[in-house]
Amino acid sequence: MEHWLIALIIMIGYLVIALVVGVWAGKGQDSNSLDEFAVAGGKLGLIVMWFLMGGAVFSAFSFLGAPGWAYEKGAPAYYIIIYTAFAILPWYIIGPKISKIGKKFNLYTLSSFFRIRYRSKTLGIIVGLLALLASIQYLATQLTGMAHIFNIMTEGRIPFWLGALLAYGIVVVYVATGGLRAAAWSDVFQGLLMIIISWVIGIAIVNQLHDSMGVMFTNIAAESPGFLQIGKEGSTMGTIPFTTTILVSVIGFLMWPHLFTKSYASGPKVIKKTVLVYPIFALFLVPLLLVGFAAKGIVDANLIESADQVLPFLITTVMNLPGWVYGLVGAGALAAAMSSADAITHNATLETTDGVIRTIFKDLSDKTVLKIMRIGVFVIGGLAYIITIFGGQGLIVLLLGAYGAIVQFAPGVYSALYWRGATAKGVICGLVVGAILNFYFQLVADSTPLGIHAGIIGLIVNVVIMIVVSLLTKSERSEEEDIYIRS
Amino acid sequence: MSKKKFNTIYIVIVTIPFLLLIFPLFELANRATPIIMGLPFSFFYIILVILITFLGVLILYRFDPDHKLEEGDE
Repeated sequence: MEHWLIALIIMIGYLVIALVVGVWAGKGQDSNSLDEFAVAGGKLGLIVMWFLMGGAVFSAFSFLGAPGWAYEKGAPAYYIIIYTAFAILPWYIIGPKISKIGKKFNLYTLSSFFRIRYRSKTLGIIVGLLALLASIQYLATQLTGMAHIFNIMTEGRIPFWLGALLAYGIVVVYVATGGLRAAAWSDVFQGLLMIIISWVIGIAIVNQLHDSMGVMFTNIAAESPGFLQIGKEGSTMGTIPFTTTILVSVIGFLMWPHLFTKSYASGPKVIKKTVLVYPIFALFLVPLLLVGFAAKGIVDANLIESADQVLPFLITTVMNLPGWVYGLVGAGALAAAMSSADAITHNATLETTDGVIRTIFKDLSDKTVLKIMRIGVFVIGGLAYIITIFGGQGLIVLLLGAYGAIVQFAPGVYSALYWRGATAKGVICGLVVGAILNFYFQLVADSTPLGIHAGIIGLIVNVVIMIVVSLLTKSERSEEEDIYIRS
Repeated sequence: MSKKKFNTIYIVIVTIPFLLLIFPLFELANRATPIIMGLPFSFFYIILVILITFLGVLILYRFDPDHKLEEGDE
């Protein structure tokens, strides 16, 4: 049998299992409960929680982008491991606090977290809309990853639109039926699969191409020493961009609405334990970086369209591997993309229905909201699909900027938890100016001063404006404020 | 140990290793050689710092005042 056909059969097999696991997980739970759909009743256990957080982080970017960075840029790719390991750590302190607040006010979203604390509908709606924009951008990346995998592993036989439709269609179906619980359980399955596959493939590739890791790095260090350093002659990234990229990722990580709202899905103890075992996930990225380094000097950069394709290119073209390896790598990469896509689709739906629609139309019953949410999964899923496949370039560019806007939520969130003086006007002004500056430096300006990440520039101005405006617009002490700070 | 004191110690313990991994302090390890356990020095150093950090957090967890109180919280 042809390689591509075996690969296709394995990948389809994987998709069927993913669908069954997802739909099965949602079974037996109260299908009319809004709480169950949104936060799995607040009762997710440690293992499931761990995979849910890990799966959301381990995305198409980790499987395709991380080897791509190591191959193209070298040492700067370490940033991926550093931020993955450290960004979870603040959750140990703020996660349990947010969890208690969420239970008290029955919250599902980041948007309602803002709305209640600052008693401002406008702020809630701004947060909900920014979250939606950023989510669709993130989804577009995952969908592109899924489509590439199908395309390359079947040697071009599955067109771009069909690959994305197959994989993402399944995600939409199990999220709409089973809500967060379905996303979480399919992440356990997908997480295990991608971890095993990444280690096996990483070690196999390094050993086959270079005898051993030591030999490989000794050669790279001898031929191009700058490649393994940051900010030195011959290196691909300066020290300031490296540091600020890590900072923006570490601060922004927990501000991603789909990760933030996971605090509501579990108790304080599970949250703390998730943090303790989390670094294992960060270390799973190591073999994927090794794959990228292994391709250095072996894959001709002119032969691939973008560095992201270096892993599948190695498998299909450079190394003469059997078809079932194609299939496994394809399944692993699909798992990585789908386990992020499910959490984001689920959350984008929550943010728009609970955060925006419910804020505008107040009298909706829980049952109606649940119905809107289920339909919303299909609407948002469809929107993300259409933008990815047919979307105009301009729209994609706009959405790219939205990604950097996520980090602008941080001052409002931390003030809500620790600073009584913060007011709605202060947070709104800071957020809006921060987001605009970020858009400006990402989309309009050619470069930023000193190479500082656009998100960090926005963040600094955001914090200053928030503090100044808050001090000028003192508000009365409210009960919500007390509960947020004391939780 | 009070909750407040614990939180302060936690923040200090995780911030120090983080600073070791970004510039200017990362300059200390910003070298390709020697190759240790098959990895360039900087790569090895990053993994080592991450492991030590989480070992520290794991030990710290034993002293968390919430640790015993919330036994029935799962």
